[in-house]
Amino acid sequence: MDISAQQAVRLNALALYAISAVLLVAFYWQLAYDELPCPLCLLQRVAFVAMAVGPILTIRFGPKPLHYALVLFAALLGASVAARQILLHIMPGDAGFGSAFMGYHFYTWAFIVFVAGIFAAAVMLCFGGQFSRSDAADATPRRGQFEMGAVALVMALTALNAASVLLECGFASCPGNPVHYELLQ
Amino acid sequence: MEFFIAFLNFGLAMWLAWRHQPTTALYVFFAGLIFATALFMRHATTELPLSF
Repeated sequence: MDISAQQAVRLNALALYAISAVLLVAFYWQLAYDELPCPLCLLQRVAFVAMAVGPILTIRFGPKPLHYALVLFAALLGASVAARQILLHIMPGDAGFGSAFMGYHFYTWAFIVFVAGIFAAAVMLCFGGQFSRSDAADATPRRGQFEMGAVALVMALTALNAASVLLECGFASCPGNPVHYELLQ
Repeated sequence: MEFFIAFLNFGLAMWLAWRHQPTTALYVFFAGLIFATALFMRHATTELPLSF
């Protein structure tokens, strides 16, 4: 069993929607419950955004092993940050940082999603057929509304995150435990 | 401010990738990765000798 370049592009668009969903949930929690993200939480968001660069390259230029390597680099960084935050709150009696979602804190969910991203990229690398350029029709993958929508959504969420963090931290270094938007004071 | 730069960096990498500049996008991506790693050391390892 193998997958074509076109199918790989479709799966990469799906990955962009998954990343967008994670960023949207984080944004919803930030706005609805007024929970400002801490520096480590922001770093995890940065890593999620970095994970989107590989799929965008795949959608634009077709699948290459290098694009999946970018996902692996970003996911490894994100998993390291999330693991560090889990370890900061691992002692018995520690309530953890922020609220929990379905029993786990957001940094624990982030760790699970980063590991899932590493797993997904590794699985995609197993299907070598997507990298062959023998089929001329497959050389330049077609991009439909599904793919274009995924790229637009993740780019818009990146811009929103940049604006939000500027409001939160202002022009100085981000505080360790932010409680208000610096630029709205 | 440092996280704004990080988001801007990866946003730029996405934009360059989409605007048909894959090599430049790669350079910007890896620059961002190094910057984010430095931020990790700055914010996450304050009790380790790696912090600065």
